[in-house]
Amino acid sequence: MHDLIADPGLLYVTATVLPLVSFVLLFVGGRRWGRWGAYLACAAIIGSFVLSVVGFGIYVQTAPHHEHSQTAAASQGAGHAHAGAHSPATETTRGIQPPWSGSIYWAVVHYLGESEPAAALRLGYYVDGLTVAMFLMITLVASSIHIYSLGYMAEEQEEWVEDHQAHVRRRGRFTRFFMYLSLFCFSMLNLVLADNLFQIFISWELVGICSYLLIGYYYERRSAANAANKAFITNRVGDAGFIVGLLILWTYVGDFNVQHVFDTVRSPAVDSHGEPMPQGRQFVRVTAEVDSDGHRYYRADDQGDQVLLFRGHVHAPEKVQDTWHYEADMPTMPYWLLVVAGIGLFLGCVGKSAQFPLHVWLPDAMEGPTPVSALIHAATMVAAGVYLVGRVFPVFVPDVLLLIAYTGGLTLFVAATIAIVQTDIKRVLAYSTVSQLGYMMLALGVGGWVAGLFHLLTHAFFKALLFLCSGSVIYGCHHEQDMLRMGGLYARMKITAWTMLVGVLAIAGTPLFSGWYSKDAILVQALSFVSLNPRHFLLFLLPLLTAGITAFYMFRLWLLTFAGEPRDRHVFEHAHESPWVMTGPLVLLAFFSVVVAWGPNPFDVQGSWLEHFLHQGQPATLDHEKGYELAVVASQAATRERGGNYLARDSWLYPLFEKAALGPHDLAGALGLLVAAIGTLLALGVYYWRVLDAEEARRQFARVHAFLMEKWYFDALYSVAVVRPAGVVARACRWFDLYVIDGIVDNAARATVRLSQWDGRFDLGIVDGLVNLTADIVYAVGRSLRAVQTGLLRNYILFLAVAAVGLFALLSYLMALAG
Amino acid sequence: MTIAVEHYLLVGAVLFVAGVVCMAIKRNAIGVLMGVELVLNAANINFVAFARYNPLFVLEGQVMALFTIVLAAAEAAIALAIVLNFYNNHLTVDVDAAEDLKG
Amino acid sequence: MSAEALFFWLLAVTTMGCAIAVVVTQNIVRAAVWLLFTLGGVAGLFFLLGADFVGATQIMVYVGGTLVLIVFGVMLTAQSPFVTMRAGAGEWGLTLVVGGVLVGLLAGVLFLSPWTGPQSDSAAPQSRSVALGSDPARSQTVRDLGLVLLGIREVHPNGSIPVPIRDADNNPQSVPRREIGYLLPFELASVHLVVVLVAAAYLARARRRTGSPSS
Repeated sequence: MHDLIADPGLLYVTATVLPLVSFVLLFVGGRRWGRWGAYLACAAIIGSFVLSVVGFGIYVQTAPHHEHSQTAAASQGAGHAHAGAHSPATETTRGIQPPWSGSIYWAVVHYLGESEPAAALRLGYYVDGLTVAMFLMITLVASSIHIYSLGYMAEEQEEWVEDHQAHVRRRGRFTRFFMYLSLFCFSMLNLVLADNLFQIFISWELVGICSYLLIGYYYERRSAANAANKAFITNRVGDAGFIVGLLILWTYVGDFNVQHVFDTVRSPAVDSHGEPMPQGRQFVRVTAEVDSDGHRYYRADDQGDQVLLFRGHVHAPEKVQDTWHYEADMPTMPYWLLVVAGIGLFLGCVGKSAQFPLHVWLPDAMEGPTPVSALIHAATMVAAGVYLVGRVFPVFVPDVLLLIAYTGGLTLFVAATIAIVQTDIKRVLAYSTVSQLGYMMLALGVGGWVAGLFHLLTHAFFKALLFLCSGSVIYGCHHEQDMLRMGGLYARMKITAWTMLVGVLAIAGTPLFSGWYSKDAILVQALSFVSLNPRHFLLFLLPLLTAGITAFYMFRLWLLTFAGEPRDRHVFEHAHESPWVMTGPLVLLAFFSVVVAWGPNPFDVQGSWLEHFLHQGQPATLDHEKGYELAVVASQAATRERGGNYLARDSWLYPLFEKAALGPHDLAGALGLLVAAIGTLLALGVYYWRVLDAEEARRQFARVHAFLMEKWYFDALYSVAVVRPAGVVARACRWFDLYVIDGIVDNAARATVRLSQWDGRFDLGIVDGLVNLTADIVYAVGRSLRAVQTGLLRNYILFLAVAAVGLFALLSYLMALAG
Repeated sequence: MTIAVEHYLLVGAVLFVAGVVCMAIKRNAIGVLMGVELVLNAANINFVAFARYNPLFVLEGQVMALFTIVLAAAEAAIALAIVLNFYNNHLTVDVDAAEDLKG
Repeated sequence: MSAEALFFWLLAVTTMGCAIAVVVTQNIVRAAVWLLFTLGGVAGLFFLLGADFVGATQIMVYVGGTLVLIVFGVMLTAQSPFVTMRAGAGEWGLTLVVGGVLVGLLAGVLFLSPWTGPQSDSAAPQSRSVALGSDPARSQTVRDLGLVLLGIREVHPNGSIPVPIRDADNNPQSVPRREIGYLLPFELASVHLVVVLVAAAYLARARRRTGSPSS
């Protein structure tokens, strides 16, 4: 207990291990435990949640200057931020909590006879503000979903279950479901807890396999099995990139510890003698040069092809004219490799977080049970990619960040447009998830570290809520997922309808709901960035537009499901509200979807307490960028100043702001709200008031509709570009196998058979013949000798006498011979 | 004519061969037993004769003869018991009836 | 022909003749009687050889014990008093041929082998044709045998075991050296006899026959 207070990180280690224990017990105990196995899994994750709450409490308690620094930063205004951003004192005034961390050796390689390890992989934990927040979110959402699953998966408790889609009778898999959930929770928590990239990678693959197992939970259904494969294979593409990134970092840094990697690729704030470094906390690109004395040195150069690595003893550079000269014996790595490493790491995130071009697996993943969709494919696992980008943020060079931003922008727009035309309730939510993940990536890409992760946390709550609501609807309608056959369900399931409305409002960014705060933060980031880099105006336009689209398709979803006249009598009449074990988590999550982002004054969109909390965990490097990165700094500063009017004067947008007399924050927020309102009204107009006819619109935009229905032809494209060529290659390989390899094997086999036949003949004829001959001789001798054995006592005595006589005769003959 | 050891040995030899022929020719099991007694007596004659004619064997030869007599008595007792058993099982003492070991 | 030779031939011919009669006779009871005479003859030969104790034992054990045992056996197993089980003529011929050859062989070996003792040049008068029986004390072997069987073996310096070196007055000149005798074999023989008698009693005990006699 004392240790736990001395090092609260162990609390988190315990919280991580609890689901693993549950998994192992369920794995061993299996179906014998029935319902109790599920209760065990629930108890484990709730235990983790309790530990996370305790850890959170300790973390807040031990942050000494938390409140003070916030108020000070707020009161000192914009001017101070500029000065403070470059002073080394910033960290202390910000009151950053020193992270709780620790690690143990895991796999160690020694050189022969040396005690110092040559290379070592470690297992460790690293708990900072981000980890604390992620733990709270994951364990809370997972706990809700565990409890919800008790109701949703209830029919799996039967000994035999009828699968109506696959038309098979199979055994119930209740405990197996919870076993997978436990393994997933462990993996996800371990991913968040890890202090090194390798441990993250292991967890990364573990959540991948959990996702595979749970998507394919109904593996008797062909579609589910295919979806599981698709998810797994698509993720492999991303993970290949991840591995490339890891290998590059390992080669040049020699360590996977995240903090060590940052410290190595970026300049320290002070050198080994305490002298301040001129380019502290930045990447230092250099060019190798030789001066007139033949003296070699590295010249700091923004276009240099090498990046300095800061390992061991570091000396501050020498100032020569306008530039800095670093010592020639410092280790370096090629800049392009750092870019490749960043892209590689990001590619892993693209796969896991279902970003454009690898987003195709997520909608198919809806084949899994709905609680799984909520937990894994909406709230947590897919967020792992975003989390990782946030975690290794300091490794990404500006070029990579721009790539991230564009990837996010494209993803959020593409996915949102597809979501408009989907009719499967879960698929709409799936595309909305992809779209929201795109928002997060975009925010991270434009330097909005806090905004992206903030949205990650709020999104987790309302997306889990939305999925669980959809699950409740599906459960209530007896596994009907097509919205076109629903309608008017409000009368049948009021709790589900109300809680889902909360989720819809939250994701649409309605004021006072959690989505409002985070989406506002993202738009502000994007606008600040664009104002400094007008060339990249799409990065603001796309999320703004998509905010409207989001509102439209979410309200369309809700209205089609709950409002209006029932479109299918049969479904409507059999629909019913779900049991309390399912609605309870809905209410809980709805509550958090509203209040999770509230600050002291909920009406202050910048006053979110959660955002402030995350801000403490932001990497220190973000304060010290320049050049392109200035934009990041600028937007960052703007966020930190909470409405500080920060806009470059030479921006073409500047007059607009001037006229509107608005800061970028207010402008972005206002525009976002306006667009969302338009989207909402449009949805109401089409699906509620029916002033516009959806059918007619579809006919008019038939081609667009078809394009969207086909999901921008991504699946078709992959089919042509990847699957078919793979098929051709596979057929070629098959031909090669069938005719060349099989031919060789067959001929070898035939030769062996021939040889064996000869060998058999030799064995049968000669070897066996010899053996049989010996046996025959022995047998014949035995037969002939048999006559002697008369069994008559008297004969034997006679033989004895004869033998004695014979022996005498023989001996005397021999003695006579011997003389 | 001096009686030498050879003469005794000759008596022993004749008794021995008589015993062997007795065993080989008698179908009565007790007759076979008698043949055995003859053979043993032949051996005893030899022992005692050697004891008489070789000073080194004076005691040993006689002791050996004594043991032989004792063993012969024991052998006769056991053999008769076996014969009785045989008679109980086969109702005859004809040794030709015991041919179970015929090959 | 000395008296010894006379007695020897008398006894030898009797013994051999009776032994042959045992073989030749077909009646088992008669064979027993001929055997009695044979054993008696052998006892006589023992006396002639100076082995008075062995001869006495021969008469007591064989004639008094073993032969009675055999006669009992004959009585217990005879189906009828005159049962004869004859061997065939061919068997007779074969057996007699073998027996004759064996006798010839043994006799040849007997008379062709040199029977000189290992100590032919020692003080004691001995040759292959000289008997040691001239000494009257030599015929009293009971004491020596008794000592030997109790584990004491007296050896005189001249190497002759029971015979002391005597002076002209026939008094012993030497004190015999005492060695270990045959107590252990004697005991073994005793135990052996006990075991054998128990075993014989067990084997020959009366048993109720079950089933038909033919089985």
